[in-house]
Amino acid sequence: MTTPELLTIILTTAVTMGTPLLFATLGGVLSERAGVIHLGMEGIMLVSALVTFVVDLQTGSKVLALIGAMMAAGALSGLHGFVCISLRGNQIASGLALALFGTGLSGLFGDALIGSTVTSLNRIPIPGLELIPIFGSAFFNQDWMVYLSYFLVAGLWFVLFHTNWGLQIRSVGEAPIVCDALGLSVTKIRYLCVIFGGMLIGLGGAYFPMVLTSFWVDDLTAGRGWIAVALVIFAFWHPGKALWGAYLFGAAIAFQLQAQVMGLKIPSYILEMFPYLLTIVVLTVVTVRNRRAGQTLMPAALGLPFFRGDKH
Amino acid sequence: MFELERRLETPLSVQVAVTVSSIVLALILGSILLAMVGINPLEAYPSVGALMFFDQWGWQDLFLKMTPLLLTGLGVAIAAQLNLWNIGAEGQLYLGAIATTWLALEFSEALDAQFMLPILLIGTFVAGGMWAAIPAGLRSWFGVNEIITTLLLNYVAISLADYLLYGAWRDPSTFNFPMTRSFGESSFLPMIGSTSVHWGLPLGIFLAVLTWILLRSTTIGFQIRVAGDNLSAADYSGFNTKNLLFIVLVLSGSVAALAGMTEVAGIHHRLQQNFSINYGYTGIIVSRLARNHPIGIIGTAFLLAVIFVGGELLQVEYQLPIAVVYLFEGLLLFTVIGSELFLSYRLRRRVAV
Repeated sequence: MTTPELLTIILTTAVTMGTPLLFATLGGVLSERAGVIHLGMEGIMLVSALVTFVVDLQTGSKVLALIGAMMAAGALSGLHGFVCISLRGNQIASGLALALFGTGLSGLFGDALIGSTVTSLNRIPIPGLELIPIFGSAFFNQDWMVYLSYFLVAGLWFVLFHTNWGLQIRSVGEAPIVCDALGLSVTKIRYLCVIFGGMLIGLGGAYFPMVLTSFWVDDLTAGRGWIAVALVIFAFWHPGKALWGAYLFGAAIAFQLQAQVMGLKIPSYILEMFPYLLTIVVLTVVTVRNRRAGQTLMPAALGLPFFRGDKH
Repeated sequence: MFELERRLETPLSVQVAVTVSSIVLALILGSILLAMVGINPLEAYPSVGALMFFDQWGWQDLFLKMTPLLLTGLGVAIAAQLNLWNIGAEGQLYLGAIATTWLALEFSEALDAQFMLPILLIGTFVAGGMWAAIPAGLRSWFGVNEIITTLLLNYVAISLADYLLYGAWRDPSTFNFPMTRSFGESSFLPMIGSTSVHWGLPLGIFLAVLTWILLRSTTIGFQIRVAGDNLSAADYSGFNTKNLLFIVLVLSGSVAALAGMTEVAGIHHRLQQNFSINYGYTGIIVSRLARNHPIGIIGTAFLLAVIFVGGELLQVEYQLPIAVVYLFEGLLLFTVIGSELFLSYRLRRRVAV
């Protein structure tokens, strides 16, 4: 295999493997910009993957499957919102609860599905763009969900940084007391961000049966939801950086899958550690650089419950 | 209409009532989900309960399951004293099991039998601490979020165990099963009396009590409590909070790793795949339910053991997947966190102005 061919394969796999991470990271970014930490991604992704699989099996419609997945993900995220926003519960603990609950739900209701299969989405080449050397087929000969993810990155970036809504969302994540005094409903904005963020995470879960695996196995997402949790920090709560983070991680998975083909004599279980170790290393570098620069890019009110009565 | 009013203090009766109702609520919600997969909870709960508490196998299993939960819960609770989230107890448990296995396989013939258990205990404790030193160091000196690093290291530890089980440590006589040779008998944790409950449980209870005493009556315990209340105040009073964070997170990992030792040396007597049913993650719930109190976790570890054994019995009696355990754990954690609101606030009828 020539080097350009190998690069193309790795890049293509990086985009495919990175896409579910990208959706989930975008969801996390939206939720956390409004001040609510979202650790329950793994659970949401598993449940939405299950719903996608079931609806696809029953109706054969990918679009209906996707809608079902987003509704389920939105509902689960709403539960997280209820505990964190209305009941002012600890956001980290609630996220962990959601991760466990979702794993349990998908395991319990998915048990009957083990063995059944669905079809995967076709690749739709974009004329012209797909001919760009190396990058073309990696980025522009993919399924429509990949293209949807490009739009969502741009859309979320635009909404967050160039609209009044975005300003409100970011303000609620930075200074909810001030927003409240100005007459914004902190509760409403947070709920909306958590629920819509959850739907985006649900798209990430849906990507597994849509593209990556045509059959149902227990624990389909295999820990990818947790990587997305790290990617949100890694991306500094920015949609554009989420794109690069997700593909970097996708490349790590692609490298892991390709290493055997490339003739590297590294045992597969050691390679499996690679993406996780890479995340830790990059997270460290990014944190150190951020601290040197003296900036805190984290939303100031992230993780803190808001209660109108508590003005202190 | 009603409104919320902040409580000045929370009476014990309220604490008990809130905790009990959150457990009951979780059971009710869980029963709805069970009914959805065609199981009658009114039939399943009593029959599982009877097997659990009135069957000799059942209660021994409760104490066996309680042991790793107590140790991982204690590990998480130690970190929580400084508001640190150790989500890596699962990986620490795996690393503890790996360390125990290495020591047991390597030294059981070379050393006198009476030295083996102390060596396993100390070796596992040290190995778990070294493993936790990675996130602890990153947090203390570089400010890297410990939630993420401890969590990601879980996957690394589990892959490491798989690597050993499929490679150098696989017992060739088991053909395709990924498990190591059985340990020599000197590396078995002894049983209590004629039961199948091993000495890991008293060890866990002892460590929980010891932690509580250390926190209450030593200088470092005092520093930890002050820093846990307010880290910057502790910084200001001249405590070395960086070292404090490091030591506490390392200790937290050491204790969680012991859960790996009690599992492999107490039950399986070898390392094998999937020996942990998310004991590490469940430790977070054990700690949280006890509001991170070292003595309280003895009770909450038992409660979570009830969920585990209940789940296993549902698995056997009704052919349900083990995921049902995670389902109940998630529900329980939700209802407990959600209900904490009623510990600090009370509902009051809104007075018309």
